Amino acid sequence: MTGLANVQFWAFVGVVAGIFTIFSLGLQVQFGFAGLLNFGHVAFMAIGAYTMAILVVKTGLSLWIASLIAIAVSMGFGLLLGLPTLRLRADYLAITTIAFGEIVRYLALNEQELTGGPQGTINLEGAGAAARYNDEWLDFQRTVQGWLEVLLGDNATRDVTMLVIVWTVALVAIVLLQILVRSPWGRVLRSIREDEDAASALGKNVFSYRLQALALGAALGAVAGLFFAFQFSFFSPNDFEPLTTFFAYVIVILGGTAKNWGVPLGALIFGFIFAGTRFLDVWPLNTFDSAERAYLRLIIVGLILIGLMAFRPQGILGKREELVVE
Amino acid sequence: MSERDVILEVEDVHKSFGGLAAVAGATFDVERSSITALIGPNGAGKTTLFHVVSGFYKPDHGAVRLDGERIDGSPTHRIVRRGLVRTFQLTKALTRMSVLDNMLVAAPAQPGERMWRVFATPGAVKRREEEVHERALELLSLVGLERLADDYAAVLSGGQRKLLEFARALMTEPSLVMLDEPMAGVNPSLGVELLEHMRELQRERGTTFLLIEHDIDVVMTVSERVVVMSSGAVIADGPPDDVRRNEAVIDAYLGSPHAHEEVHEIAGESSS
Ligand SMILES: Nc1ncnc2c1ncn2[C@@H]1O[C@H](COP(=O)(O)OP(=O)(O)O)[C@@H](O)[C@H]1O
Ligand SMILES: [Mg+2]
Repeated sequence: MTGLANVQFWAFVGVVAGIFTIFSLGLQVQFGFAGLLNFGHVAFMAIGAYTMAILVVKTGLSLWIASLIAIAVSMGFGLLLGLPTLRLRADYLAITTIAFGEIVRYLALNEQELTGGPQGTINLEGAGAAARYNDEWLDFQRTVQGWLEVLLGDNATRDVTMLVIVWTVALVAIVLLQILVRSPWGRVLRSIREDEDAASALGKNVFSYRLQALALGAALGAVAGLFFAFQFSFFSPNDFEPLTTFFAYVIVILGGTAKNWGVPLGALIFGFIFAGTRFLDVWPLNTFDSAERAYLRLIIVGLILIGLMAFRPQGILGKREELVVE
Repeated sequence: MSERDVILEVEDVHKSFGGLAAVAGATFDVERSSITALIGPNGAGKTTLFHVVSGFYKPDHGAVRLDGERIDGSPTHRIVRRGLVRTFQLTKALTRMSVLDNMLVAAPAQPGERMWRVFATPGAVKRREEEVHERALELLSLVGLERLADDYAAVLSGGQRKLLEFARALMTEPSLVMLDEPMAGVNPSLGVELLEHMRELQRERGTTFLLIEHDIDVVMTVSERVVVMSSGAVIADGPPDDVRRNEAVIDAYLGSPHAHEEVHEIAGESSS
């Protein structure tokens, strides 16, 4: 593969960035708007992907219904985490989510009957059955590809089609969130983020808003999980390491906390680093083997974060005024 | 005795922190459409009592009634929706929001505060927003902050933040407003205007005010009734002229750090 000029490579970068945009928007709602520290966001992605795959493969449910149920299940888990913790102090949520993220991954590893265990969804119910959700998705993708061919001709490859689908969903999510942030609902959330006592003294039900933010973020995490499943066909518990949550924080902070358009920007930069270090075969990257490149990725992410904190602590699109420390 | 129309009843409220009894047997009531002052030396438990009445703390013992119904133990937001709003001694301006947004967020009955209504009934959301916007500007100009409406509240001085909190509390369309030292740090001429506005709201809308205030002149001129707390308990309660001559009140102030000035002020032997 010869790097930068390769369309496949860019399409892959774009799809990864799109999935991470949707995933990080979920964290944006929770952390950026509501000030909730969720350190187990990756679990919502895992729940979304696994619920859909298990339902389609084991019960023969249609992909679309299974996907909707997967989103609902993920939201249900969000509420389950929030109900006991958010009435106390916001940091109890943080502690609980750290554990939650790992519990979900360990369950996926150990409940072989249900999840396929360490080998992942390929082991769900024999190799043939595992392809069911992929087939249904590919059917849909081919339909969209047909429409795109009218516009793009031969350029409408599978990868480009996936790119268009993922980014359509990502952009719709951004626009809807943008409307929400600017609405009175978003205003209440901002007031809670800054000072929950002030918000409740003005008649706002702080607990309810936090739960809503948690559930909405969980839904977006699940949608990202669905696309992850469609893009990579088979997945395993290893795809849902805690590091993925950390990447979402990097993206949100990179773009500017509480700035919706910062998320795709951060995700594109991140997607490039993520995919770039994996694929680019140019000097000096070709002097490292792939395991070393994975570390290199983290080092680059770290350097970018340090640079950003030094020169633009509010993120690329953030406003400095909203960063004031009293 | 004539029939009294009581809006707030505080009955034998106790609240301790560990071994420290911050409020220890506070009993008094507030008459509807009155301006009542709550005074007492520092540490008397006034702010703690506000926290209990507004639902931030659950009392260890005792009852609080608003319009005859128990509100102790109810969450703060429900109490606010029943018409009781309070401000904070240490102001809680939302500094990362504009002054105007501070006002708008306080408005009740905005359908757009429900997520689904934002998308389902944008027209109703917009209409309510316009109504509320008008009222917000009106109140801001009343406290002299209209020119700062679009600035972040972080730029406001301490006194301006007190004024913003006062105006913001009124945005909730309250029937009872509890103000914790509303004049502290406020420019005196604006303070006078603030008092005038309280009287106006009292007259025109029948709004009730309960204020904690240290300036004895303010207390004596504006309030119809004074409740005095000391060491967590209510030790006197009555018209300003009776209270200033009350032995227990003078004793209580003698025990406080600023005893001498305050006793002179209370007894009306002002040195100025
Ligand atoms: N959260 C708290 N924890 C412990 N002690 C407190 C707390 N809040 C108030 N106190 C104490 O309770 C007493 C009454 O305080 P406060 O209600 O603020 O008095 P006031 O407003 O009349 O000056 C003081 O001795 C204060 O130190
Ligand atoms: Mg006080």
